[in-house]
Amino acid sequence: MKSVRIIALKKDRKRILEHLQNSSLVEVKHNEVPHEGFERVDTASQLQRFERNNQLLTQALKILDKISPEKKSMLDSFKGKREIEPEDLGSIAAGSPRVISICSKICDLEKQKSDYMAERIRLKALSAQLEPWGSLDIPLNTPDTATTAILIGTFPKMFDESALSEALAEEKDLVFDSEIFFSSVNLTCAVIYVPKAQKEKAENVLRTLGFTRPLNPTSRTPAEKIKRLAQKDKELSEKIDKTVEDINKYVKYRQAISDTKDYFVLRSDKYKVISELDQSSHTFILYGYIPECDCDKLEELCLRAADCIVEFSEAGDDAPVKLKNNSFTEPAESIVMMYSPPSKEDIDPTPILAIFYYFFFGMMFSDAGYGLVLIIATTIGLKVWKPDKSMRNNLKLFRNCGYATVFWGLAFGSIFGDAPAVFYKLFTGQEITMAQLLPWPILDTQKDALTIMILSIGLGLVHIIVGMGCKFYVCLKNKRYAEAFFDTGLWMLMLIGFAVLAAGMVISPVLMTVGEIIAIACAVGLILTQGRSAKGIFGKLIGGVASLYDITSYVSDLLSYSRLLALGLTTGVMAQVFNMLSTLMGTSVFGIIFMIVLFIAGHLITIGLNALGSYVHTMRLQYVEMFSKFYEGGGRKFEPFAVKCNNFKMKNSEEI
Amino acid sequence: MEGIVFAILAASLATVLSGIGSAKGVGGAAQTAMGVLSEDSSMFGKMLVLTLLPGTQGLYGFIVGFLIMINCGVLGGEVPTLMQGLAYVAASLAIGFGGMISGFAQGKASVAGISMCAKDEANFSKAMVSITLVEIYALLAFIVSLLMVISIPGIKM
Repeated sequence: MKSVRIIALKKDRKRILEHLQNSSLVEVKHNEVPHEGFERVDTASQLQRFERNNQLLTQALKILDKISPEKKSMLDSFKGKREIEPEDLGSIAAGSPRVISICSKICDLEKQKSDYMAERIRLKALSAQLEPWGSLDIPLNTPDTATTAILIGTFPKMFDESALSEALAEEKDLVFDSEIFFSSVNLTCAVIYVPKAQKEKAENVLRTLGFTRPLNPTSRTPAEKIKRLAQKDKELSEKIDKTVEDINKYVKYRQAISDTKDYFVLRSDKYKVISELDQSSHTFILYGYIPECDCDKLEELCLRAADCIVEFSEAGDDAPVKLKNNSFTEPAESIVMMYSPPSKEDIDPTPILAIFYYFFFGMMFSDAGYGLVLIIATTIGLKVWKPDKSMRNNLKLFRNCGYATVFWGLAFGSIFGDAPAVFYKLFTGQEITMAQLLPWPILDTQKDALTIMILSIGLGLVHIIVGMGCKFYVCLKNKRYAEAFFDTGLWMLMLIGFAVLAAGMVISPVLMTVGEIIAIACAVGLILTQGRSAKGIFGKLIGGVASLYDITSYVSDLLSYSRLLALGLTTGVMAQVFNMLSTLMGTSVFGIIFMIVLFIAGHLITIGLNALGSYVHTMRLQYVEMFSKFYEGGGRKFEPFAVKCNNFKMKNSEEI
Repeated sequence: MEGIVFAILAASLATVLSGIGSAKGVGGAAQTAMGVLSEDSSMFGKMLVLTLLPGTQGLYGFIVGFLIMINCGVLGGEVPTLMQGLAYVAASLAIGFGGMISGFAQGKASVAGISMCAKDEANFSKAMVSITLVEIYALLAFIVSLLMVISIPGIKM
């Protein structure tokens, strides 16, 4: 990583920034204050404008999505972004005002639609109020006649004719007639006729009964009014349909809208960078970081774009990190990055991690058939979707893991579990084991579990020692010799001693003695050196002896590798169970159909569960058992000034 | 001949006890994960991984149960003697209880990991690794049960 300073004239600012953004070579350095003699440009108002546009476009897209959802399959998320030429960006920019006006139209139409909907709800409520009056043949606000007062209204409880008459008869001398139109538990609609002279009297008694006049009296009969409301409702619903249709006409602009949205994201990124520049009256200076290998490319690019000065210098301590690996190890970068990018002190652990990752994943997934499925699925994915870099690397990671899986599957004699043997038995009736079917000697995960466990722990020992070897190398590189030889080297030797001792138990007593001698020598060495920072002879000795206690952590690390066996066995047994179940129905036509369905479904479940398990547990072995030996992490990832869009990417631009 | 009852009991114990652990662990984690997903459905992949982590105990128990069935005459092998049947029960207790209790514990760790990941997606790998720390104890129990189960038919009792 290098620091870079680009000095150029202000009139070329736009061109240079565009070139930098399209090439994604440089990360812009963030300085709180400008260098002396320079100023910053405030771009907040432009950024706000972009933000507003962005919100409008997002809202319009949401409306379009609601009205006509985009057809998207799960697999589309694997697809790479559309590539566009730099000229296409120009046409998107030119079309942006039009797209914005389209979007505001869409939003207006949507608002109109919701107004119509609200009106419809109001009319419905009104119509529901009138519903009980349906059979009344005079308007609700019918005036009194010359001699008779007409009281139309509702009571908040249930009355029938006789009960109402009784209630009204409470008032002495009242002459009346009543008609009930509707009656339910808490509502009675009635019309009461009284002589005009007794109107006040009647109203008094009615008031005590909770009689109320209708809220929205009209000069039409209720039935007629309900009909008119229904008519209005129909009109509104037609209007809503029309509005939806109008919005639907804009669906074809969906792509243009999302492109424009991305265009505003690009512009606001650019304006953010502009606000970071040191500017004088005629020139500007951009400070940034650039990977060492891209320096020449950048210089050429800038000089071609405009008159400018490009200076490189050593990057400081806070420089970001960009990993560089070959195509075999690169897919594992994401696993390192997920833990933490390497700090300045660290070496890039990706190559070592990649090899062990593929190998251990294969051992856990351990089935030739599943390995093939992984390889074929990821290869097809890479060919068909042409995914973007991060997805491409993930697919490649699983493809490489697939190769290792096939290897271990063959070693364990597992091809879709024991499918070949099961089918052989189903169709010929003869018992056969995978060991007999396959021409090479196999390690049966169930019968040779102990052997595989020892193998797993042996591989774990190699893994840990490689991790410590990295620590040894890092210490040597940073000239911390004591740490290299005493803290790391002695432990490495001691572990090797134990390994030789263990091997000697099986092979020959001579090896045992050799192992013992190595281990004891290392233990003595550790006692003598580990207390070196303590004061006084006793402090040193106690520190040294106490350090031997670390052996427990190494033992638990090693035991942890037994998961290689456990997960391998899980895959094998689950596959075996589904094979057994799928052949239960025999060889009839029905049996064969049953077998095919269950075989496919069962193995898909097994692949899903165990691929996930292998992915997680392999990662854990790397992070906990190996990284703890040497890797510090805590670096910062290189985030270049680049085209970061959801929809498209620039053709020929460097991918990040 | 009488051994088969105990062998079947052993297979059931191994499967059901560790299954209880996983069911409770995954269930709790799934509840929390759904809470997170209701806010941000784009985290589904990460949540799925964290939710499924306490699920392995059940699988381990199931495998031990299956191996017992293969060895004891239910799905093949010879019918065990009484003492062998009892030995199967003894062997299945390791993964049964180890799986159940580590399943509870891992479920709790998963819930915490999911909340941590919901606050900042960058914490995902840390959460994942911390949750798998619990797994080692289920794993040890499983290995012990497994080694015992596969060697019982060879021991004359």
